Amino acid sequence: MNRALEQILPRVQKPARYTGGEYNAVVKDRHQADLRYALCFPDTYEIGMSNLGLRILYGVMNGMEGVWCERVFAPWTDMEEEMRRAGISLYGLESGDPISGFDIIGFSLGYEMAYTNVLNMLDLAGLPLRSADRPGLAPLVVAGGACAYNPEPLAPFVDLFVLGEGEEVTPEYIALYRQAREECWSKEEFLREAARIEGIYVPAFYEPVYKPDGTLAELRVKEGSGAPERVRKRIVEDFEHSYFPVRTIVPSTEIVHDRVMLELFRGCIRGCRFCQAGYVYRPVRSRSPERLARYGKDACRDSGYQEMTLSSLSSTDYPGLLPLCDQLLDYCAPRDIGLSLPSLRADTFSMNLMDRLQRVRKGGLTFAPEAGTQRLRDAINKNLTEADLLQSVRTAFSGGWSGVKLYFMLGLPTETDEDVLGIADLARKVYAAWREVTPNRARGVRITVSTSWFVPKPHTAFQWEGQITREEYQRRVDLLRDAFKKDRSITYNWHDPDTSWLEAVFSRGDRRLADVLEYAWERGAKMDAWSEHFDFPRWLDALAACGVDGDFYAHRQRPRDEVFPWCRIDTMVTPDFLWREREKCYASQVTPDCRSKCSGCGANRLLKGGVCDG
Amino acid sequence: MADRLLFSKAGTARYISHLDLMRTFQRAFARAGISIKHTEGFHPHPFVSIPLPLSVGFSSQCEVLEFGLTGGAEREEVPARLNAAMPSGITVHRCYEAEKPVKQLTYVNYIVTMEYDPGAPFGAERAIRDLLARESLVMDKRSKKAKSGVVQVDLIPLIAKATVEERRDTIALDLVLRAQNPGLNPELVVAAIRTHCPQAAPDFVSFHRRAVLDGKMEPWE
Repeated sequence: MNRALEQILPRVQKPARYTGGEYNAVVKDRHQADLRYALCFPDTYEIGMSNLGLRILYGVMNGMEGVWCERVFAPWTDMEEEMRRAGISLYGLESGDPISGFDIIGFSLGYEMAYTNVLNMLDLAGLPLRSADRPGLAPLVVAGGACAYNPEPLAPFVDLFVLGEGEEVTPEYIALYRQAREECWSKEEFLREAARIEGIYVPAFYEPVYKPDGTLAELRVKEGSGAPERVRKRIVEDFEHSYFPVRTIVPSTEIVHDRVMLELFRGCIRGCRFCQAGYVYRPVRSRSPERLARYGKDACRDSGYQEMTLSSLSSTDYPGLLPLCDQLLDYCAPRDIGLSLPSLRADTFSMNLMDRLQRVRKGGLTFAPEAGTQRLRDAINKNLTEADLLQSVRTAFSGGWSGVKLYFMLGLPTETDEDVLGIADLARKVYAAWREVTPNRARGVRITVSTSWFVPKPHTAFQWEGQITREEYQRRVDLLRDAFKKDRSITYNWHDPDTSWLEAVFSRGDRRLADVLEYAWERGAKMDAWSEHFDFPRWLDALAACGVDGDFYAHRQRPRDEVFPWCRIDTMVTPDFLWREREKCYASQVTPDCRSKCSGCGANRLLKGGVCDG
Repeated sequence: MADRLLFSKAGTARYISHLDLMRTFQRAFARAGISIKHTEGFHPHPFVSIPLPLSVGFSSQCEVLEFGLTGGAEREEVPARLNAAMPSGITVHRCYEAEKPVKQLTYVNYIVTMEYDPGAPFGAERAIRDLLARESLVMDKRSKKAKSGVVQVDLIPLIAKATVEERRDTIALDLVLRAQNPGLNPELVVAAIRTHCPQAAPDFVSFHRRAVLDGKMEPWE
């Protein structure tokens, strides 16, 4: 271990985050590796190591001959300070080598509030922030993940974005990079070739042209670049046989999701109209229960974890769930390994299953009805009925559960005061259900209602919607708070509006926001996802200094023919379908789930034969 | 009687905290296919215990972990099986039946290496030796129990042996300290040096645990 690092580690919190050396960390011989890849997660070790995508890419790349992929996380501020003082630049956890000397630096983008950490990590690596100021081929700065579906706010900093699932496209651009290096291509030549790979968006080849009113006239394809009109996202068509990290790193310090994560399927059949994941991960592709059971057992055996979780966007929609659970329980139960389902639908089937599976204390259960009335739940296509929810909580309460958390959004399209007050009604009905069935009234009940401020996302049916204003959000919060005044068993929490507003700005922002990011970062913005570091006035200053009106992005209602900053990105779910879904919202009409009836979104065109698993 | 492991903790593993280390061992036993006793109760989990927790950042060649072997391996096979399942820096040397109870664990031998960027200052070695030869050396120590958050500790009765040796740009302290009831952390000895011999204050210190001993200064096993 590097001496300079050794000297600072005794002074920082949780130093085990910064040393590497965990079980299954891949250490290769520097002289045998011709391609060094820094897989960066712009948040802490505990958050980043909980990300399944990161583990998949790590395994895929380290499985390639000559490629050495290392992990890099954002150091907490105490560590960053020590590193800067000691002149230690950002390094790969496996080798301790500075990543500025690597070939490719790839960022996983999961959350807009981590954008400043991307800039901070580039700076801590000693690299210029802007792509234009990094003329050489190496290090190439790449980014992917959910936020890449609107890459524009980060466009000037990143050389290329990877859209969709990375398992197959990553080896493709690594192969191209190797060829470029052997044949001494310039960065421009490399990017031009890379743009021909499906799923790769090279922002430098698209130039925004604005109208006088500030909206986009077009995102013009740079002449002679050969870049495609539309960049189609990548999916792994054969999910059954795709790589799963059975042997994966077991951190030596506690992380957020410290357990085996078994990915059942990708995509979601539900079609909730606000949900970006539900649209962009289409079409649905599953793994067989037999394979999953094998992976789950092998992963427990290899890691020694005492807990396993079944992961997907909506696990109870997995057709083979019962046979899978039975096979896993046969293995887990005698070994005291706990099995859990994080994403549950509030129906009786799930509750019974939960009862069988979970070893954890019967403390709290979480449901996300999202809206307070059936009318609004229909409008957002959240196919959950009040009867379902009440039946579920009844099952839970009579089984001894003593707490329920209910999550809602305020400001969904078409929401009225009646819908807002419907949240209070629903919570009271949950309370009444508890009184009716609990075996132990003396113990009391905790019902927690949380509301967030709805953030419209790109590539959803609500991508045209304005976020309601801050005043209106506050009014609805107050309305609900008043409604709960007399309910002593119900706790009401609401989200901090500053963060939600900024999320709304960046999630649908354009390239002009890059200056705002850089300005805010220069003045200390980083770790913005952490409330202790989030400084809202700093962001307002940054917006003002750059002459950018945040409300323009957050609150403006867009016309149907608006040219979006993400217009070059094709998820294969057609804009016409999304618009139809929006219209159906305003008519409070539901769309059946993909298994009941195909709604014709277009994502099936990503599959040979055009038939989804859905 | 319980089973014990003798292991060392070095390199990157020095930064694994006590709680994380216990979790690491629980998982390593599972990975190695070695079954060990579980706790009883509603949430049974594999039981391991480390009688003398090591401060984060210290290295050691004499760590001891207690557990109960129930199957999957003979004692002799345990070290090799575990070592194949360990993160880097932890090496299990021996698995044996406990001989002496934990209450007989009386002394710990530490090597404290104090480094000086410009070389060890003139007179520092002497000053430290004199300091440790005092009749009494009272220092403030942080305490969770005391209301004020601080208690006063006299170091001298807790130091059984101290050798000070200067080598070019380091001064090495070979200390035998009380292990428990109460024990003395060698960091407090260095803090005393910083307080009372500021000219001998080091730029960087590393701590290594070399041996755990019983009341007769014999190895505690």
